[in-house]
Amino acid sequence: MKHDVIVVGGGHAGCEAALACARMGVETLLVTISRGDIARMPCNPAIGGLAKGQLVREVDALGGEMGLCIDRAGIQFRMLNRAKGPAVWSPRAQADKAVYHEGMMSAIEAEKNLELLEGEITGLAMAGGVVTGVMSAEYGELQAKKVILALGTFPNGLMHIGEKQIPGGREGEPPSCGLSDRLSEAGIERERLKTGTPPRLVKGSIDFSRCEVQHGDEEPSPFSFRTGRLVVEQVPCHITWTGEKTHAIINANIHRAPLFSGQIKGAGPRYCPSIEDKVVRFSEKPRHQIFLEPEGRDSEEIYVNGLSTSLPADVQLEMVRSVPGLEGAEIARYGYAIEYDFFPPHQIHSTLESRKIAGLYFAGQVNGTSGYEEAAAQGLVAGINAALALHGRTPFVLGRSEAYIGVLIDDLVTKEIREPYRMFTSRAEYRLSLRQDNADERLLGYAVRFGLLPRGQWEGMIGARKSVQRARRRLEAENVAVADAGKMRAARLLQRPGVSLEDVERLLPDGPLALGKRERESLEIYVKYRGYIRRQNRTAEKFKRMERRRIPDDFPYVEIDALSAEAREMLGKFRPETLGKAARLAGVRNSDVSVLMVFLEKAGAWRDGDDG
Amino acid sequence: MHGDTIVALSTPPGSSGIAVIRISGPDAIGILDTMAPGARAWKPRTLHNRVLRDTGGEMLDDVVAAVFHGPNSYTGEDAAEISCHGSMQIVSAIIEESIGVGARLAEPGEFTRRAYLSGKLDLAQAEAVADLIASETRLQSQVALEHLGGGLSKRITAIEERLRAKLALVEASIDFSEEDIEAYTMADLVAVSDETRREISELLESEVAGGKLRHGMRITITGPRNAGKSSLYNALLGEERAIVSPLPGTTRDVLRERIHIGGFTYYLEDTAGLAEAGCEIESEGMRRGREAASAADLILFVVDAGEGWTCGALEELESHADRNRLLVVNKTDLVPGGGEAAAGSPAGELRTVTVSAVSGEGLGRLREKIFEFTANGEVSGVSRERIALNIRQGMALRRAEEALERLGRELGMNSPAEILSLEIREALDACGEVTGRSAAEDILEEIFSNFCIGK
Ligand SMILES: Cc1cc2nc3c(=O)[nH]c(=O)nc-3n(C[C@H](O)[C@H](O)[C@H](O)COP(=O)(O)OP(=O)(O)OC[C@H]3O[C@@H](n4cnc5c(N)ncnc54)[C@H](O)[C@@H]3O)c2cc1C
Ligand SMILES: Nc1nc2c(ncn2[C@@H]2O[C@H](COP(=O)(O)OP(=O)(O)OP(=O)(O)O)[C@@H](O)[C@H]2O)c(=O)[nH]1
Ligand SMILES: [Mg+2]
Repeated sequence: MKHDVIVVGGGHAGCEAALACARMGVETLLVTISRGDIARMPCNPAIGGLAKGQLVREVDALGGEMGLCIDRAGIQFRMLNRAKGPAVWSPRAQADKAVYHEGMMSAIEAEKNLELLEGEITGLAMAGGVVTGVMSAEYGELQAKKVILALGTFPNGLMHIGEKQIPGGREGEPPSCGLSDRLSEAGIERERLKTGTPPRLVKGSIDFSRCEVQHGDEEPSPFSFRTGRLVVEQVPCHITWTGEKTHAIINANIHRAPLFSGQIKGAGPRYCPSIEDKVVRFSEKPRHQIFLEPEGRDSEEIYVNGLSTSLPADVQLEMVRSVPGLEGAEIARYGYAIEYDFFPPHQIHSTLESRKIAGLYFAGQVNGTSGYEEAAAQGLVAGINAALALHGRTPFVLGRSEAYIGVLIDDLVTKEIREPYRMFTSRAEYRLSLRQDNADERLLGYAVRFGLLPRGQWEGMIGARKSVQRARRRLEAENVAVADAGKMRAARLLQRPGVSLEDVERLLPDGPLALGKRERESLEIYVKYRGYIRRQNRTAEKFKRMERRRIPDDFPYVEIDALSAEAREMLGKFRPETLGKAARLAGVRNSDVSVLMVFLEKAGAWRDGDDG
Repeated sequence: MHGDTIVALSTPPGSSGIAVIRISGPDAIGILDTMAPGARAWKPRTLHNRVLRDTGGEMLDDVVAAVFHGPNSYTGEDAAEISCHGSMQIVSAIIEESIGVGARLAEPGEFTRRAYLSGKLDLAQAEAVADLIASETRLQSQVALEHLGGGLSKRITAIEERLRAKLALVEASIDFSEEDIEAYTMADLVAVSDETRREISELLESEVAGGKLRHGMRITITGPRNAGKSSLYNALLGEERAIVSPLPGTTRDVLRERIHIGGFTYYLEDTAGLAEAGCEIESEGMRRGREAASAADLILFVVDAGEGWTCGALEELESHADRNRLLVVNKTDLVPGGGEAAAGSPAGELRTVTVSAVSGEGLGRLREKIFEFTANGEVSGVSRERIALNIRQGMALRRAEEALERLGRELGMNSPAEILSLEIREALDACGEVTGRSAAEDILEEIFSNFCIGK
């Protein structure tokens, strides 16, 4: 059996990677331990959220599957941050996990260049530093020109529930040990990280009358640009709180928490701490918020958001029952923490290809990230780049000013990972332009160019974009009469606080703008933000020109005495692809950049790249 | 890379008090033209005597200038060279004016780097250019560090901390809006924004624009009690400014006056005499004196020739070991030649001066030394960097001030968090240019350590 690309792992990264490859016309094989794994959600029953929602919109604009899947599987939709400005609105939806899995499964089955195989991959096949395939326990060697690893939390996964330690990739699944060890033998560095998940409760055992109710938006907005109107009967979530009693139970048992007993060595995410961590570190807080989220429309299990823990089972039960509404709760599945190997991403290029082993790509949790959306975004990028490489085309690297995906990958290849990485809007210096409403405008062109979307789908999207642009030009050209200022440009008027597009539209001499709801919203946001965006770009663009200055991969940093010692070390470790990336490394100062410029000139290495 | 035009003080002012400012880049000649309005056309590579004026028409200086067309210049680009009078005020004013009309302050070694990149220097010189950049950078950070030892840094750091705390609140409200965490209030932000802007305006007034940096370097007189510091202070000023008395411990507060030496402006400071112990007021006086000395550009350490180098004096001197300093042995009218104290000076001949504050003997030599060790001698690179630092800081603080002004307006319009963040970030970014910290980087750190985040 010989394929163009083999994707290992059918999680969120692996699925997008495999679909992208197949859609770009390369023969693709997706190998995963079990078909039931496809797009499984081991933690939150939700897709999107702050900054993550923007990622999903970007994945969608690039022809990815995540947006369509969640539109079908969503059981409650909310646009977060509505109270803030539209630049930071983020869509989020509660997902029916089973429906999500089925949706992704049928997308995979429908793809003609894509084959799905159940099995565990235990090693790589290589020849002269180039990957030639993978070794499978069940099928022996499987050959391919490119291999994408999307192994999630499986590499040497070790789960903790109290004193109990169970090797596993996640609950009920064995770890993947051989592959990680083979990679290590091949010279790929690995380190440990940790994450965790809360217990699931039996729905019927919860007294919801004692909790606050949280409903979805009255008018749900879809994630995908390809979804028309969402018609969905939404399901509520519930809110309750821990209290002093809960905290007393935790404190009394803290010596049994693997996090504090020294049993867990990997670093966990500070933005997603376990309840025992919260109680210890913020002991002055009298209570912590808990969201009760259904795992599906008809699921009997409730996810206890906010109560992530690896305390022993008996303590988990006592702790849960100390919470109002949960006094009689039964635990369906216990919470646990998991430690796993990841492969620090200073070892990959921005294409997600390994520096060490040509043709090998890393995507998702294996790069030190956390989250379904972060994984999907990387899977897509790895898939696109593997296919482009097979076609001999220029690699696909998004700039920080183009997309959250660009920020994500740039951060991975320029920053030390000390805890699982997740996206935040504050990581994006071009935040005002990287909005959920304009992901199509920013990225659709790539999807079309790479053939990721069928014509029938992108034509509609481009049509919508064009109508926004036409309307924008009208606002910039047409004058309207205003009581206090005489005549002024319609766009200027719309920039005034408190003036809405409707107000302006009524005054337009050539009549109303023919626009759909989503397009109207996008236009209004654009005009209102224009001035700020220009300023934001001016401050953020200090390094932009340097983004095009490429640095050869074998640049001899060690030989340059004039670089500061710290810069030399960081440059040698990360081997930045451009001067812009070099300048963003911690410890590299302006003067180091100047010194680099001098030597790059000497090496005749100025070349214009297409990044940024 | 050479889209823009750069300016810098290229040679430090010489003993004749002349300084050379260089401008290089596509707009170099245009910028010179703008500053010398109505002048006849420039003949390349020829010296012209011209009057430079700012955009308001005020005269900046009477200078000698020349233009060079690329590639026939040092950098290979269009370039202008201005020789002006060597006072700090004049140099700063000309550089600031050229920045105002389109130039950018050069980075360390940038002139040489441009010369190299445009092919004027041969390849083997890359090494040397890189070393130059590195050493100029060291000089720059040394100057910044010295300077930041003082009050300005403390105040900007306090401003930064305040802004960063507020930015963390604003950012947390965006990225963690689903969490149960403290929210910012508009009233609180308005208060902080107003207060901070006021403070920055004050700093600009006192410290940067009209203050010591713009107007000169600081010379602090220190030393044991009764050594004759106040007498020397008066002698250098030429007026009886400080109280002199035979009682030890006469001076309590730091006195400060302007003096001119060789076309340069200095701030001369008299401080309380040093002793092992003292009453509360005396101790406070000594503390202030030491603080002043630690921020000085030059320390004059005065001892009484009759007393010589006591243990206390040596110990005190030791605490300024790494500083730019001159040892002054006073009262040569009583001990001719300064005697033992002069012969056994811990600083060696070059940095020791014998004087009599009463008879005036040696004061001329002292003035020469002061000039030599601040404007011309081994610290000349320092004085050049100081001018650059001053200009950079002024520009940065003005940028912070503007961002806070806009923040005030946005707050008035009830603007959303991401817009408020834009302005706070810009203000922080500008402050960071002064203190060298990158402001926005660690906002997430700040959030994680202050708020309980995570569902
Ligand atoms: C307990 C737990 C808690 C988590 N908590 C959070 C959280 O709080 N917040 C958050 O954002 N994210 C959390 N996550 C992470 C989130 O699930 C992942 O970030 C996301 O699923 C990663 O996607 P992925 O595609 O990289 O890997 P996964 O979705 O994990 O998929 C990996 C796939 O690879 C397959 N596989 C692995 N090894 C092999 C092999 N050798 N051969 C064949 N197939 C293989 C597996 O079967 C699996 O299908 C948690 C995960 C776990 C397990
Ligand atoms: N003969 C002589 N006496 C001097 C000279 N300089 C200072 N004195 C005398 O020394 C005494 C102390 O002088 P000050 O100038 O007050 O000394 P000071 O170092 O400022 O003293 P404190 O402020 O108390 O630390 C006074 O009586 C001065 O007149 C000098 O050059 N020659
Ligand atoms: Mg005195």
